[in-house]
Amino acid sequence: MTAYIIRRILVAVPTLVILIVLCFFLMQVAPGGPFTSERPLPPQVLANIEARYGLDQPLWTQMWDYLVGIVTRFDFGPSFAYRDRDVNDIIAQGFPVTLTYGLISFVVATLAGMGIGVAAAIRHNTWLDYIAVGATFSAQALPNFVMAPILVIVFTWQLGWLPGGGWNGGQWQYLIMPVIALSTSYVASITRITRSSMLETLNSSFIRTARAKGLPEHKVIWRHAMKPAMLPVVSYLGPTFVAMITGSVVIDVYFSTGGIGRAYVDSALNRDYAVMLGVTILYGGLTVLFNLLVDVAYAWLDPKIRY
Amino acid sequence: MKSTPRILVAMLLGATATTGSAFAAGTHPVTGETLAEHQVFTYRVLDEHSSVDPQIVEDVSGSDIVRDLFEGLMNQDAQGSLVHGTATSYTVSDDKLTYTFSLREDAKWSNGDPVVAGDFVYAWRRAVSPELASPYSWFMELMSIENAAGIIAGDVPVDELGVSAPDDRMLVVRLSQPLPYFPQMVTHATTFPVNPAVVEAHGADWTKPENIVSNGAYVLTEHIPNERSVRERNPMYWDAENVILEKTVALVINDENTALTRWLAGELDRTEVPAGQFPWLQKEYPGEAISFPRLCNYYYTFNLSASGPEAFRDVRVRKALALAVDRKIITENILAGGQIEAFTFTPAATAEFEVPDVEIASISQAERDARAKTLLAEAGYGPDNPLKFDMVYNTSESHKKIAVAMSQMWKQKLGVETSLANMEWKTFLEVRANQDFELARGAWCGDYNEASTFLDLLTSPSGYNDGKYSNAMVDELMTLARIADDTQAIYTRVEQEIADDVPIIPIYHYAGVYMMDSDVGGWPINNIEQNWYSKDLYKIAE
Repeated sequence: MTAYIIRRILVAVPTLVILIVLCFFLMQVAPGGPFTSERPLPPQVLANIEARYGLDQPLWTQMWDYLVGIVTRFDFGPSFAYRDRDVNDIIAQGFPVTLTYGLISFVVATLAGMGIGVAAAIRHNTWLDYIAVGATFSAQALPNFVMAPILVIVFTWQLGWLPGGGWNGGQWQYLIMPVIALSTSYVASITRITRSSMLETLNSSFIRTARAKGLPEHKVIWRHAMKPAMLPVVSYLGPTFVAMITGSVVIDVYFSTGGIGRAYVDSALNRDYAVMLGVTILYGGLTVLFNLLVDVAYAWLDPKIRY
Repeated sequence: MKSTPRILVAMLLGATATTGSAFAAGTHPVTGETLAEHQVFTYRVLDEHSSVDPQIVEDVSGSDIVRDLFEGLMNQDAQGSLVHGTATSYTVSDDKLTYTFSLREDAKWSNGDPVVAGDFVYAWRRAVSPELASPYSWFMELMSIENAAGIIAGDVPVDELGVSAPDDRMLVVRLSQPLPYFPQMVTHATTFPVNPAVVEAHGADWTKPENIVSNGAYVLTEHIPNERSVRERNPMYWDAENVILEKTVALVINDENTALTRWLAGELDRTEVPAGQFPWLQKEYPGEAISFPRLCNYYYTFNLSASGPEAFRDVRVRKALALAVDRKIITENILAGGQIEAFTFTPAATAEFEVPDVEIASISQAERDARAKTLLAEAGYGPDNPLKFDMVYNTSESHKKIAVAMSQMWKQKLGVETSLANMEWKTFLEVRANQDFELARGAWCGDYNEASTFLDLLTSPSGYNDGKYSNAMVDELMTLARIADDTQAIYTRVEQEIADDVPIIPIYHYAGVYMMDSDVGGWPINNIEQNWYSKDLYKIAE
C-alpha cells in the first residue's frame, strides 16, 4: 500500500508539469493579451509594461523562469490585472473562502444525500421513496444560477432574514445561501446514487443470508449492506469534493463571496496568465490528491481490491 | 484571514473618525436638511477595481475610490466645474506653456506629514517612469508635459520631466505645446500626489490598508478583493470639518439583477438599473429611479479597410443602413432608461458643444426608411441580390438585444441578411483592432469633457479608429481645433463630414441610470463625467 501511494505521488509530478506546460502555451494561443484594452496602449507604453513582467522574453524563457520561480521560491508570479497582489496573495485570499463554503456544502450534501438515499432504498416503493425520487429530480433540474437569485429574492428582499451577499469573514448568516445553492444539486445526485446502489446491495445473496440467520434489520443494513453500497458513492464523492472546494463561479458571482472560482474565471477573461496558471496548478494538484484518496478509500471499503 | 494589524488600524481610524464628526444628527449647513445619525454610503461596483495607486489605476470604479483617498491640484464640483483642491490658485504664462500652481499651507497626509510640491513632482515622474510602466503613462503625454513622451520611450531620464518644485508651496509645469484644457486634466487620478516615503518603504504593497497614507478626504480602512472596500473620513484632511459622510462602502456585485434585489432589500444606497427595467422601477420608486445623460456614445463601425467588404465602400450602402435603424425602438423599448437617440457622434451633453443639425435627424423614420430603400436599390442591392454581411459585438445581454433589433429592422425594411456573432471581450478587441470584422459594435466614454475626446477617434492616426476611416478634411480640422479659439464651428464641420461619409452608425448616447436611495444627498447628477466625491455626499434623516 505504501509503495503504491509513493508510486502514485511520483506519477503526479510529471502529470502536473505536463498540465503547466500545456496550459502555459494554450493561454498564449487565446486572442488578445493581458494588456489588450479598449483604448490600445501606445507601443512604447506597452513595451515598458511587457519588459516589466518579462513578457518580452521568448516563451521558453518565460516558461523556464516561471517553473524555477515555483520550485525555488514557491513564487507563482505576479498578477497583471492587479498590481498590488501576486498569485500567492490571490490564492491565499480566495481559496480559504471557497474551501469553507465548499467543505460545508460537501458535508451537507453527503450527509443529506446518503441519508435520504439509504432511507428511500430501505422504504422502497413507499411514499418516502416517491417523495425522495421526485424531489431529487426537481432539485437536479434547478441549476444554481437560477436558484441563487431566487434565494436572494426570497430570503433577503421578501423575508429580510439573510444578507444578500458578501462574506464577512465567513459568518454563518453569509454562509447559508451559498451552501444551499451549491449543495442542492449534489444532494440530488448523491441521493440517486446511494438509493440505487443500496437497492442493488439489498437484493444480493449475502444480504439474504444475513437476514436468514436472523440478524435484526438495522444490523443487516449497517454491518453488511452499508460498506459495499458505498462504493459507487465514494467514487462519485472524490471528484465532487474537488469540484466543490475549488469553487463555483456561480456562487462567487451571485453571492459576492470573493472566492477563488470567480478569480479563476476573471483571470481567463483578463488573460491574467500567472493567476490562471497558479489556480490551474492548485486545481490540478487537488484533483490528483483526491483521486489518490478515493483509491485508498476503495481498498478499505472493498477487500477484493489490492494494490 | 484578516491580519490583526489591519483590524487595529481600521478600529483606530474608525474611532478617530467618529469622534471627529461635527454633523451627525445635525443639519446640513447649506440645505438645512436634517442629517441621518449614520453617515454611511454603500454602493455597488461591477468588478474589483484595478488598483488604488493614483499612477496605476485605470478603471472607473478604481478612480472613484482614488478621488476620495487622494486630492489633486484641482477638483470638480457638482456641475463638473473646476474648484480648487490642493492648489489654491494657478497662473499661466503668456506663451501658455508654463503653469504655476500655489499649494495650500494646511494640506496634510493622513500620517500628519505636510503635502508639499515635491510630492507632486515625485508622483508625476513616477507616472511616466518606464520602470513603473504605468498603463496610464500616456495620459501625461496627452497632457503635453515637456519630455513626457521621451521619458516613456526611455530616451530621456525621468528627472527631465517638465515639472518642478521651486519651494514646498509652488509647483511649476512646463508644456510642450499650449493645451487650453490643461487645468481640467489635473482632476484626473494619474496626476494625484503620493507620499514618497510611504511608496519607497512598502513598494507595491503601499496601497494595502495597513500601509496606505493618503491626502484626500478619506482613508482606505478595509479591502477584501472581490468583496468590498471601505474608506473612512480622514481627520487629517485640510477640510475635514466640512466632510459629512463618515464612511463609504463599495460592494463588488457582479450580477446587476442581484444588485437590484439587494438595493430593494435596503442593503445598497446606489446601484445600476438593468436594461429595460427603468419604467417599472420609476413607477414603483418615484424619485429613486434616476436617469441623466452621460459622456458616452454607442455606435457600430464599418470596416472600411482593404479587408472590409466591398459593399461597405459604397457610401449609399452605409447611408441606407444608418437610415433604416429605428433608434426610438432601441432607446424606448429595449433600453428604456432615458438614453438619447443619436444621429451624430459627440453626445449633446459634452461641454461647450452643440449637436449640429444633420439631415437624418430632422426627418421622420418613415422618410428615412423610404430613402434607405432607394439608396440601397441604387447601389444595386435588392430581392435578387440581397446585401449580406457579418455583425459582431462583445457578449452582453443588452448588446445582443440591440444587434438583433437592428438586424431585424434591416431584414424587414431592406431585405438585408446579417449574421450576428458575439465574442468574449478580449477576442472582440483583437478582432476589431485587426480589422477582422465587417460591422462591429463600438462605444466610447470621454476622457475629458470636450468634443475632441470623441471626434479624435475618427481621425486617421487614432489608435481606436478600428474601421480605418480616413478623411483628410477631418484630420486637418481636428488638428486646427487644438489651437483654435472657437472650436464649435470646427466640430460642427467635422460632424457634418461624418454624417455625409457615414463611417459609423451612431445608435444612442448613454444615460446614467441608477437606483439611488432617497436619503442620499448631494449626488452630482449634473456632473456629466460622473466624477463624484464622497466628501460632497450626505445622508438625510428619514
